[in-house]
Amino acid sequence: MNDSVAAHDVTVLGPVLREVPATARPDMRVPVRIYADDELWRQIEGDRSIEQAMNVATLPGVTGCVYAMPDVHEGYGFPVGGVAAMETATGVVSPGGVGYDINCGVRLLASDLELERARPRLEPAVHELSRSIPSGPGRNPALSLEEGDLDRVLHQGCRFMLERGLALPEDLAVTEAGGALPGADPGMVSPKAKRRGHDQLGTIGSGNHFVEVQVVDRIFDPAAATAMGLREGHLTVLIHTGSRGLGHQVCTDYVRLMDQVMPGYGIHLPDRQLACAPLGSDEGRAYFAAMCAAANFAWSNRQAITAAARRAFAREFGEAGHLRLIYDVAHNIAKLERHGGAQLCVHRKGATRAFGPTHPETPAPYRACGQPVFIPGSMGTASYVLVGTDAALGLSFGSTCHGAGRAMSRGAAKRARPGAEVRRDLERQGIIVRCPSSSELAEEAPAAYKDVERVVDVVARAGLARRVARLRPVGVVKG
Amino acid sequence: MRDGAGRPASHEVEEHTSELQLRLGAGSLADLLAEAGRALARLQLAESAAADRNGTWREIEVTASDPAALLAEWLNELIYLAETERWVATEFRFAAADERSLRVRARGVPVASPRGLVKAATLHRLRVAPVPGGYEGEVILDV
Repeated sequence: MNDSVAAHDVTVLGPVLREVPATARPDMRVPVRIYADDELWRQIEGDRSIEQAMNVATLPGVTGCVYAMPDVHEGYGFPVGGVAAMETATGVVSPGGVGYDINCGVRLLASDLELERARPRLEPAVHELSRSIPSGPGRNPALSLEEGDLDRVLHQGCRFMLERGLALPEDLAVTEAGGALPGADPGMVSPKAKRRGHDQLGTIGSGNHFVEVQVVDRIFDPAAATAMGLREGHLTVLIHTGSRGLGHQVCTDYVRLMDQVMPGYGIHLPDRQLACAPLGSDEGRAYFAAMCAAANFAWSNRQAITAAARRAFAREFGEAGHLRLIYDVAHNIAKLERHGGAQLCVHRKGATRAFGPTHPETPAPYRACGQPVFIPGSMGTASYVLVGTDAALGLSFGSTCHGAGRAMSRGAAKRARPGAEVRRDLERQGIIVRCPSSSELAEEAPAAYKDVERVVDVVARAGLARRVARLRPVGVVKG
Repeated sequence: MRDGAGRPASHEVEEHTSELQLRLGAGSLADLLAEAGRALARLQLAESAAADRNGTWREIEVTASDPAALLAEWLNELIYLAETERWVATEFRFAAADERSLRVRARGVPVASPRGLVKAATLHRLRVAPVPGGYEGEVILDV
């Protein structure tokens, strides 16, 4: 276990829930609760993620508990897979609590194409996806923004994409926040951030980002699957990316600013990357407005990729290849939400909002089942469709996990299995792979990640979300 | 800042689960910052990439609140230039450097597409400290 957490400080509250009480360290204001079974707990003990969650529990205005999801792992300041809510009157906002890739998230598109019917054109379709959606550190020459357009993306998010013909009206109704947070102010986004992002709309980026063609291979909840239009044997497309360099620069700019002004607010923290400012301060308001703008950029990015995917599928499959958006949800974001009658600023870093059927922000098509949540597995392994529960509001501020979670460094993954072998393994499973670099393919090998099945099992047992469907990859375009 | 002459500039890159940690040592703060720049270039380019005598020069100025923040700011400026200008700095001549600011002439090479390995220098476990014979530093890079 990491040095700062003694075993006796951890109370087992249930088969998948542990707690580090607020008394474990004098500077903690609230307890830390960790959702994990014994095996995941053993993995979590191996890094500093619980120590980092305890550091988060020292932030001014933090309320309830700090939560660690079963895919939690060590991050910068906040752990990845962490949830913390701050009182808006007395609390802070922390750029590190959102992370560098602001509104990194996932959207799922469904089709009426059956895999067997689509198979003859599947490889050309995956190739077309890779050709039309730039990956790696690439730019997007196909989507040029005129002067002023970037500010409109930052301000209007997916509404601007609708104007540009890159979204369908029905897309916005099934995108978190309609794909546009109202608090966005492009004026709070630095020229440097805009420069990094101006030619990156419609690009995947690098790291663990991807576009994946999948087949629905198991339905767990037929009613919820029907509400989403998911049918066994049919193809889906999962898009995982975020706000690219623009979001990174927003985070960099405001971590620096808050690091400088924190002492003036009497805030002293165990980790500089937790840099924060009161929500009501000039700096706090400026960051929140810039973060909302970067979030709008990320939703627009996934929308632009959706438009490219629709064109690719239409080219290969005609009208039968139409891709319908099921939902788009962020997993790196801070949102103002009402919990227990109070307005809180909920930071989710590597955690997904998972509202239940009765929550007013659950979109109308999903009021009977709950808000869709997508949990990408590692490349080559299954992804899961879940729905949020009403109980999750009281268990985790309405949050659940975001993915399998890394278990191995990129270098260790490359040493464990060369990229060429990873490519062969995937192809042997019938997965079409498009990744320019075998080395980067190796970094994202399935063995580098925790077991997504176990992560999903824990959130289901804990009541944070319910399983709806399992998706098996048949084509991967890796960032 | 110290004008250390003893400690040779060096760096090590340590891999963590989802990040890289750069450990640095040098005879002076300026040398430490230059070594950080060279280490970043090795990550952004192929390992074999070296200073290019035909590369272009650029003036870079950075300010920060303390030496550790200066190290992070410096690397973030180089990351920004790599991403937006497609230009990776490999050689550094410091015109001025103190514990809160630096002015440097850097020679760099154009790259069609940097590997994109490094996205940000973080403040997490960031450290720069004077030691006998020079300075030591640690910075964690988001990759």
